[in-house]
Amino acid sequence: MESLFEQSSLFLQQLVNGITLGGVYALIAVGYTMVYGVIQLINFAHGEIYMLGAFLAYTMVTVLGLPFFAAFALTLVICAVFGILLDLIAYRPLRNAPRLAALITAIGMSIFLQNLALMIWGSQIKSYPREVLPPVFSKAAWTFGEVSLSWLQVFILSVTVVFMILLHLIIHKTRIGTAMRAVSQDKTTSALMGIGVNRVISFTFAIGSAMGGMAGILVGLYYNAIFPTMGYIAGIKAFAAAVLGGIGSVPGAMLGGGVLGIAEVIGAGYISSEYRDGISYAVMIAVILFKPSGLIGRQIGEKV
Amino acid sequence: MNPILHVKDLSKSFGGLVALQSVDLKAETAQIVGLIGPNGAGKTTLFNCLTGLTPPTQGQIEFRGNPIVPQFSEGRIRLLKASTLLFFILGWVWVPLFYSLFLPRTFFKVELVLLGIFILGMRCLMVRAFVEFKIWAWSLMFVFLLSDLITGLWAMSHWGTSIALVGAGFPFGYVALPWAIVAVPFSLFFMGLLLSRRVRLLYGFRVSPDALCRMGMGRTFQNIRLFFNLSVLDNVKIGFHGQLKSGFWQTLIRGRSQRQEEESAERAALEALRFVDLQHRTFDLASSLAYGEQRWLEIARALVARPHLLLLDEPAAGMNPQESARLMDLIFKIRKMGTTVLIIEHDMKVMMNLADNIFVLDYGEMIAQGSPDEIRDNPRVIEAYLGGGPSTC
Amino acid sequence: MPRPQEVNRSQVLIIGLVLLALMLPWLPFGASTNYILRVLTTAVLYMILALGLNIVPGFTGLLDLGYVGFYGIGAYTSGLLAIHYDLSLWVILPLAALNGALWGILLGAPTLRLTGDYFAIVTFGFSELVVLVLRNELWLTRGPMGLPGISPPSIFGHPLTRDWEFFYLIVFLLAVVFVVVRRMEDSRLGRAWFAIREDEIAAQCCGVNLIRYKVTAFAISASIGAMGGAFYAKWFKFIHPDMFKFWESILILCLIVFGGMGSIWGTMLGALILIPLTEILRAVLPQSLFSARYLIYGLILVLMMRWRPEGLIPFESAQAEKAKQTQKRLTGLVGKE
Repeated sequence: MESLFEQSSLFLQQLVNGITLGGVYALIAVGYTMVYGVIQLINFAHGEIYMLGAFLAYTMVTVLGLPFFAAFALTLVICAVFGILLDLIAYRPLRNAPRLAALITAIGMSIFLQNLALMIWGSQIKSYPREVLPPVFSKAAWTFGEVSLSWLQVFILSVTVVFMILLHLIIHKTRIGTAMRAVSQDKTTSALMGIGVNRVISFTFAIGSAMGGMAGILVGLYYNAIFPTMGYIAGIKAFAAAVLGGIGSVPGAMLGGGVLGIAEVIGAGYISSEYRDGISYAVMIAVILFKPSGLIGRQIGEKV
Repeated sequence: MNPILHVKDLSKSFGGLVALQSVDLKAETAQIVGLIGPNGAGKTTLFNCLTGLTPPTQGQIEFRGNPIVPQFSEGRIRLLKASTLLFFILGWVWVPLFYSLFLPRTFFKVELVLLGIFILGMRCLMVRAFVEFKIWAWSLMFVFLLSDLITGLWAMSHWGTSIALVGAGFPFGYVALPWAIVAVPFSLFFMGLLLSRRVRLLYGFRVSPDALCRMGMGRTFQNIRLFFNLSVLDNVKIGFHGQLKSGFWQTLIRGRSQRQEEESAERAALEALRFVDLQHRTFDLASSLAYGEQRWLEIARALVARPHLLLLDEPAAGMNPQESARLMDLIFKIRKMGTTVLIIEHDMKVMMNLADNIFVLDYGEMIAQGSPDEIRDNPRVIEAYLGGGPSTC
Repeated sequence: MPRPQEVNRSQVLIIGLVLLALMLPWLPFGASTNYILRVLTTAVLYMILALGLNIVPGFTGLLDLGYVGFYGIGAYTSGLLAIHYDLSLWVILPLAALNGALWGILLGAPTLRLTGDYFAIVTFGFSELVVLVLRNELWLTRGPMGLPGISPPSIFGHPLTRDWEFFYLIVFLLAVVFVVVRRMEDSRLGRAWFAIREDEIAAQCCGVNLIRYKVTAFAISASIGAMGGAFYAKWFKFIHPDMFKFWESILILCLIVFGGMGSIWGTMLGALILIPLTEILRAVLPQSLFSARYLIYGLILVLMMRWRPEGLIPFESAQAEKAKQTQKRLTGLVGKE
């Protein structure tokens, strides 16, 4: 019985970690899914915005000496601006080009940004200095036997939940949210109805990028490690989460992120830790093959 | 004589929107059949159903006497698929169990193989029969299924015995080898069966657009769909694709047959281009053609394979009067070659002169059918086109 | 049937290039000859890889991000066969190509039904999985320790060691691949691919079986990639899972985007310009900046898509050129009759 209890507590701990991770994936996945919903583009560079978010906050905290929460807020703003610029510079000129061209541009941007970060910050793994973080982060918020939940995890989870609710309200209760939904249905008709399509797309990029940058900071805190290639794997996993939930659907991205985070932590714990990243690739491939519309998404057909 | 195209009770709905509602249509060989109707009447949807691009919700299409859409309802197809799967799985389980349980030690391998072939041969015949004559074969299949199930259950309850048989010096190869020898061909046979069009239709697979094209159906599109970055000649040669056979290895080796095929394709393409009077543009890129010329090129691409049935979706759109006169001449020439032409057209003058038989669609329903004169005087057609009933006229 | 005695431009070009390549090792570059040869061997290897990749995005119009997976499969097939069975290169090359094609079919058959973006993602996932397997299946691949000590290839019992020998070998392979791809392009198969690239629905209505031709394209592309990998393993004599990461796919994609997707000459030109450029960068830049060289590739992708999406030698102009050749041939025949 003793060992069973230990096992179940280990399992619970894994579950808690998985949910935390899943929340972060969901934050990144939302960016993918919103952009895909609006302009049907897989924004490969989104993972890089996530990485930039982590680095920007790091630079502000260490070099400029800003307090952590100020840096946090500022990073969101900068990332939002950055998302708008990304769209303006790279994607907007290709709005009417073949989709392959936009996709290749997105990949090119991703590589460019990643290597730019490599040149600026170097390839060493960095971490947020302990002393600038709120000291409460490292303490346990809640302990039950072997299972513990740190304040950092509480912070991550609550930030995730708050922003998700905020996002839901924005999409469903505001004018710009309505406009976003309209644009995702039909760009031309929306333009004819007097919606500024480009403005809506910029807004989508801004929100998605802010969320991505925030996820970058949170992961940087959680794993205590930031490095220029972090956006690559995280981006792909978040994309897998978006696909799992149903690309183009925001609640789908949240659900997908949660499921994938748990699946990954439990898979790594019980199946094979070497194939930790493989689990999300496998999930992604399986979903695309067998249920491309995802858990809660709509089927996209081609018009003849 | 059978009609070349026979559409029976065809319906198509997109979600809640009904695009076609029990449409019936018949086209005889070497006839020019017109299809008219106001915008959004479902004409292009009908074309897409005919060419296999959109699956109809319900109904039958026969092309040259062959059905080309699934014949059963979705539920029945699902039942069929599930029972076949079960049949297969039990079949695979049953025979090795039979070997390991019932056969006395004195049996030789050859006899085992013969027995296996007999059993599986019976099953193949049964599957075949099931495909050909549907109903009684169905019941037979369920008898087999039931017997498999009972045997399987019985064998499972005696699992120890069979293990003992192998354990008591009965070589494993006696079970495995004959099994492999008979079971694999059986499965291959069944999969081969699935390649045949009839069987695939039973299992709910449509005939794909490319297969339909190879059966002799050619079409053009309302909004031109050419291969714009290729030369005019290559566009037409692609239309000849189904007539050629060379695959990867022939292409790699470039033997005589492959070269002859290429030459024949070239000849056919040049001839088709001459037929539509486009030979002076043969070596230009399709994107450099004028709009009218692109329409001609689409027709040439559809014609080069000598289809039995040619579907033209608004071919005269964007043509000037001289060009549409030429188009009419061309269509008469096509009919003379023995090809049936089904044509959607808005230009009533063209249609009245051209068609032998006209069908009128309105809101997805076939409201009238007949010779051009009959259609002209049909009150329902007038109503559909002018809006309002006869009282307002 | 005697052909008309007319030599066209591309034939002259081909003969000239082959002669130039054969003369190259004997030109007086002095001490740097071997260095130049090594750079050019790399460039020619990438020309082969680019020709192989080009079949899928260039000819068939599907973005394939997993090409390097097949390159890796080929390299490991070659390395393992060489280490465990000591086979000759001429046995290894077809086996590697076969293995590549096999995996190409296994991956392609279920995934080629997907629309463009999803296909790109699945192929990407495949290449990452390949790297993960290569890295973790220690019993087979020795994982992160890599596979050292692959024997050099030999021809008629004479082992190849010198740079010019490898250079001749890879030029020969390029010639073979070039002929294969040219024949594919100018045939029923190639036309079907082009039709799919231009308009899938119209292609279907012309009798082209989409899945079959996409899978064929994918398998041929994969086998060429695997062959390139097989050569690479035999040439470099050491392979490591990290050599086959996603970046490599991007690099090759970059070559064909730069040169012109869909045009054979364009893809080869792209490789011939960009690969030596990389080597120049390696010589010029300090080590720390050189590791960020992919920055330039990313920039090339973005800028090309913005200003010249069709590449240096666009698909259309390649097709126009082909049409002109056909015209010459046909009018030549007519003139003779």
